[in-house]
Amino acid sequence: MTWLPLSFGAPMVLAGLVVLPVIWWLLRMTPPKPQMEIFPPLRILASVLKREETPHQSPWWLTLLRLVMATLIILALADPVLNPRERMAAGGGATAILMDNGWASASDWQVRVATAERLIADAEASGVPVILAFSAEEANEPAGPFDAAAARDRLNAAAPRPVPVDRVAAAERIASALEGLPAPGLALLTDGLAADEDEAVWQIFADSGIGRLIWAQPDQPTMLGLTGGDNLADVFAVTAIRPQSDTAPRDVTVGAYDDRGRRLADAAISFATGEMEARGEIRVPFELRNDFSSLSIDGEMHAAATRVLDESRRRRRVALISQAEGDQAQPLLSPLHYINRALEPYADIVSASSPDLAEAIPELIEQGPAVIVMADVGTLPSAARRAVIDWVEGGGTLVRFAGSRLAAAENDPDLLPVRLRLGERALGGTLSWTEPQAVSEFPPSGPFADLSPPSEVTVTRQVLAEPSADIVDRTWANLADGTPLVTGDRRGDGTLVLFHVTPEATWSNLPISGSFVEMLRRIVQISRNQAVVDASGEERRASLPPYRMISANGTLVPPSPDARPLEISGSTQSVTLRNPPGLYGTDDGVIAHNLLGPDSQLAAIDVPQTELPVTRIAYAFDEQQDLRGPLLAAAVALMILDSLIVLWMGGLLRRRPRLAGRSAGVAVFVLAVGSVLAPGTGLAQFDDARPGDDEAIAAISETRIAYVITGDSSIDSISRAGIAGLSRFLTDKTALEPGQPSGVDIETDELSFYPLIYWPVDEATQMPSDEALSRIDAYMQQGGTVLFDTRDQYGAGLFDGAASPGTMRLREILSGMNVPPLEPVPDDHVLTKTFYILHEFPGRYAGGPLWVEAMGDGEADPERPVRQGDGVTPIMITANDFAGAWAEDANRRPMLPTVPSDPMQREFAMRAGVNIMMYMLTGNYKSDQVHVPAILERLGQ
Amino acid sequence: MAAIGEATSRVATREALGRARQRASLVPDLLVDARRVVNTVIAGWHGRRKRGIGENFWQFRPYVEGEALSRIDWRRSARDDHTYVRDREWEAAHTVWLWADPSPSMLYKSAAATVSKDSRALVLILALAELLSRSGERIAWPGLTDPISTRNGAERLASLLLQTPVPAARPELSQIKRYSDMIIASDFLDPVEDTLAWLAPLAERGVRAHLIEIADPAEENFPYSGRTEFRDPESGLRLTAGRAETLADDYRRVYAARRHELSSWARKRGWSFTVNHTDRLASEALVRIHGAMFNQAAFAGGGRA
Repeated sequence: MTWLPLSFGAPMVLAGLVVLPVIWWLLRMTPPKPQMEIFPPLRILASVLKREETPHQSPWWLTLLRLVMATLIILALADPVLNPRERMAAGGGATAILMDNGWASASDWQVRVATAERLIADAEASGVPVILAFSAEEANEPAGPFDAAAARDRLNAAAPRPVPVDRVAAAERIASALEGLPAPGLALLTDGLAADEDEAVWQIFADSGIGRLIWAQPDQPTMLGLTGGDNLADVFAVTAIRPQSDTAPRDVTVGAYDDRGRRLADAAISFATGEMEARGEIRVPFELRNDFSSLSIDGEMHAAATRVLDESRRRRRVALISQAEGDQAQPLLSPLHYINRALEPYADIVSASSPDLAEAIPELIEQGPAVIVMADVGTLPSAARRAVIDWVEGGGTLVRFAGSRLAAAENDPDLLPVRLRLGERALGGTLSWTEPQAVSEFPPSGPFADLSPPSEVTVTRQVLAEPSADIVDRTWANLADGTPLVTGDRRGDGTLVLFHVTPEATWSNLPISGSFVEMLRRIVQISRNQAVVDASGEERRASLPPYRMISANGTLVPPSPDARPLEISGSTQSVTLRNPPGLYGTDDGVIAHNLLGPDSQLAAIDVPQTELPVTRIAYAFDEQQDLRGPLLAAAVALMILDSLIVLWMGGLLRRRPRLAGRSAGVAVFVLAVGSVLAPGTGLAQFDDARPGDDEAIAAISETRIAYVITGDSSIDSISRAGIAGLSRFLTDKTALEPGQPSGVDIETDELSFYPLIYWPVDEATQMPSDEALSRIDAYMQQGGTVLFDTRDQYGAGLFDGAASPGTMRLREILSGMNVPPLEPVPDDHVLTKTFYILHEFPGRYAGGPLWVEAMGDGEADPERPVRQGDGVTPIMITANDFAGAWAEDANRRPMLPTVPSDPMQREFAMRAGVNIMMYMLTGNYKSDQVHVPAILERLGQ
Repeated sequence: MAAIGEATSRVATREALGRARQRASLVPDLLVDARRVVNTVIAGWHGRRKRGIGENFWQFRPYVEGEALSRIDWRRSARDDHTYVRDREWEAAHTVWLWADPSPSMLYKSAAATVSKDSRALVLILALAELLSRSGERIAWPGLTDPISTRNGAERLASLLLQTPVPAARPELSQIKRYSDMIIASDFLDPVEDTLAWLAPLAERGVRAHLIEIADPAEENFPYSGRTEFRDPESGLRLTAGRAETLADDYRRVYAARRHELSSWARKRGWSFTVNHTDRLASEALVRIHGAMFNQAAFAGGGRA
């Protein structure tokens, strides 16, 4: 059956389908079984029942149902298999599997594993051992023979590697494992790409007596590889290749990423028909291009589609030129000593072997330095000058330092960023009124803009630039008096930089400051490499540790334990399992180690010429499904349905009118159809408004202070009046303007809207339920604060041990909560200072302490006015009846007298409320204010 | 769904007897109308106003030579010189033949009925036997027993029925004499002409018959619907109705016509025709039969009990 991915294990059974018409006829003829009734007056009935009883036909849908049932059973008996696959038993004494797990296998690795699993399953069915080797594994990996379970374990443990395949080594492992096994079958699960040594592989297999060959390769290798990413003068060029078999036109996008994985730009690459290599360009500013750290082809999930770039982060080569030969003897006086020391960690330093500039400069330029540093070189020989100018125009960065020679030399606009005045300027000294100048802030336009200015650097001598209109643009660093210290300018693609001081510490102490290192490093960073660092020269680091690796699916990952340092030797290093592709080096500089070279080709692999029987298979998931079970289950389900229908027709509903039966049938049908279609029809208008939204919005649109409604109307009215009075006081005295007091029912109301809940504890009211207490507990745990007021400062017993009823009730309430350790407000608590300086917290009654969460082991620091502590106490307990003191009537007259009757006590009670409220809203902010003197001091004021 | 009707096993006669006693106790002693039995030759408790075999004193007459000495009434003879024989009044007992249809069609009880037809028929017959025996009538069961006159006639009838495993389908009517009464409890479901044919000899012989039709409500109302197969318990014939509810009207008409024909035929001959439904009380039929045997006027009935 080609039109359906279906095959039958016993197709002869399908002949049973011809009886279906017979079954149909029988089903149509046979009426349902009648209700049996004994009926003595049958003869009378017989005289009535004149006409012949016609066979009662069962409904057509019942007939159809039964026919479907019969069909299902016949089909099930025929042993159907959906998506059948051929058995791929290789035959012979063993099944050998050579599986490519190189970079080209990564994108569809799961399919390959599934294919190999099928092979293993078939080998298991045949009872032969499995020899399994992967072509991108270590050479000492065992190849077997394995039993099927072990082979599966090895298969599942294997993973694609971001390296090229080494089929020879794998073939040798297989060949050695195959020794002594008769006529084994070999399955080659290739990645579809040819390798150089494929002939050797076929030879090895030919020698090992393979009996049969199973060949698997992707239908059409379409993987793309990046072979080049070159930061050219004006564009960034990207080169990609594709396999020769892939000839259709194709457009891909290459993304460029910086070292933190952010996508900076992308390039479109178009393969024309039959074109194997295509080039794309990224036209973005040079600075952005310098940040490119990796390229990746969109949609390609393998290592070759990602290319790491070391252009920007590679160690630059810096050439140092000095005219003063004898200076080498005294290092601290050598003009290059400080430059050398500053650049050594970041760059490869090359020096001229000859002091003759005419020889030294071409020699150095030949080595392709990114930066040439000239320490006080005055006039260059004309040949050398031409070479330097060309080099700069081509993208080099020339860094010059001033000195006596330069000061005496003529202006050379090609090699100096600014015009210089002849001679130098001395600042300070015995014959000068001026002071040595400090360095001011770096101009924001220059490359040093984000460096911190060297405050300790002073400059005593410098060469001066002629003032010009664009001098400000070219100034990279200024002295405090505005004269340039470092100037820079573009020349062609290159850069000229002039330090207006000497590279040694004679004119200024800049060279011995840390800023000097930073500035030089920055200059080197923005410079462009002029040549590939070939390894011919003496390398400082012969081996570079792995830094970032390209994983098998093309992402950059930290190095795996298997990665070894990259040995830089004469020839280009090949990508191996020990040196997977990626960046090698350290933070300061890296070398890219890429999978594909600039001349790489992707060629499709071909089946070797052999006389062996070759079976070609395709990579595919094993989608074979045995349909017998589902079919039989469906038949049984239909049978049950049929029984139900027969029961229903036979009488369950027979006393109902005919119409009911019909509607019941319709209902059953609708139910069945509905149950099939139901998952798709879930669209409903959704209104997220809920009851209580208005209250919630009202509660949170203003800051409101809440009080607990106790149920005792006199207490509640005092609470409300008290909170209202405090709110008015807050509005008068502070920036806080609370809304109307909010009475909350702790059993039902949402509590999280309120910063503070005032709870007058009254022993006469009903004890809150456990749920309410747990709500209060959660409120306190989540940042709310409850102010418990037992209002019985003078109601407590005369003795310490005696607890008042209110306190007893409070203890009862708190027994079910997570109450932190408490202490009376200490003198250095922030609560005493949040708005007013307070020493006690009176309410209607004075003298009762206000209990808050203990601050722990915070030692009272006599120097510090406030104890440090994080968080806000979740609980405050007082007995002073705050609300009674705060309560005012509409005319702002106090409603209750204070005890003792002291107007100031009421004022202090108000202030206590203000402090508490401020503490609620600002937390320990006030305790942070103790740092203000130190902060002000640091700000220098 | 359960069937509406069911076949019952044959009712245990002893149990039926108990129930019959109960029924009979509800009815006053049956005084059989003597008008029809004046000339009955056999003595009964109804005085015949002439000498004969009886229990009550009729006359003293002089002893005639040749008579049995035991007949001499010595007390009367002692008063004078003559020898007297005590004559008794000739008393005539009424003979009532009882018969319940034992055919398989009687072994039927529908869901709406309380008892099977067989049970109801036996109960009625035994109740009548009890009544009649108590009032001294002679009762008989054709083919089973000759007329007997005994106080425990019902019990004897029942024990005789017990000993007869398979009663005859039709009673042997040849020994039933003129002026007897016959009570027949049956469902009369045979074709009317057959029924009339076997009842005709009774009519010709002048026997007065009381027909009790035992009817099951399901037979009369025909509450069937849907596809139904009906089976005759007597012949075993089967009949399948595709939609039984469509037959109900026709059936009821034919059923009623049969009953009407039977009852009008019976009424023409002065017989009584009583219908007793098995979902009603048996005593209703008993009262009706009682009335029919007592009062000629009730013979005009034939209605339902």
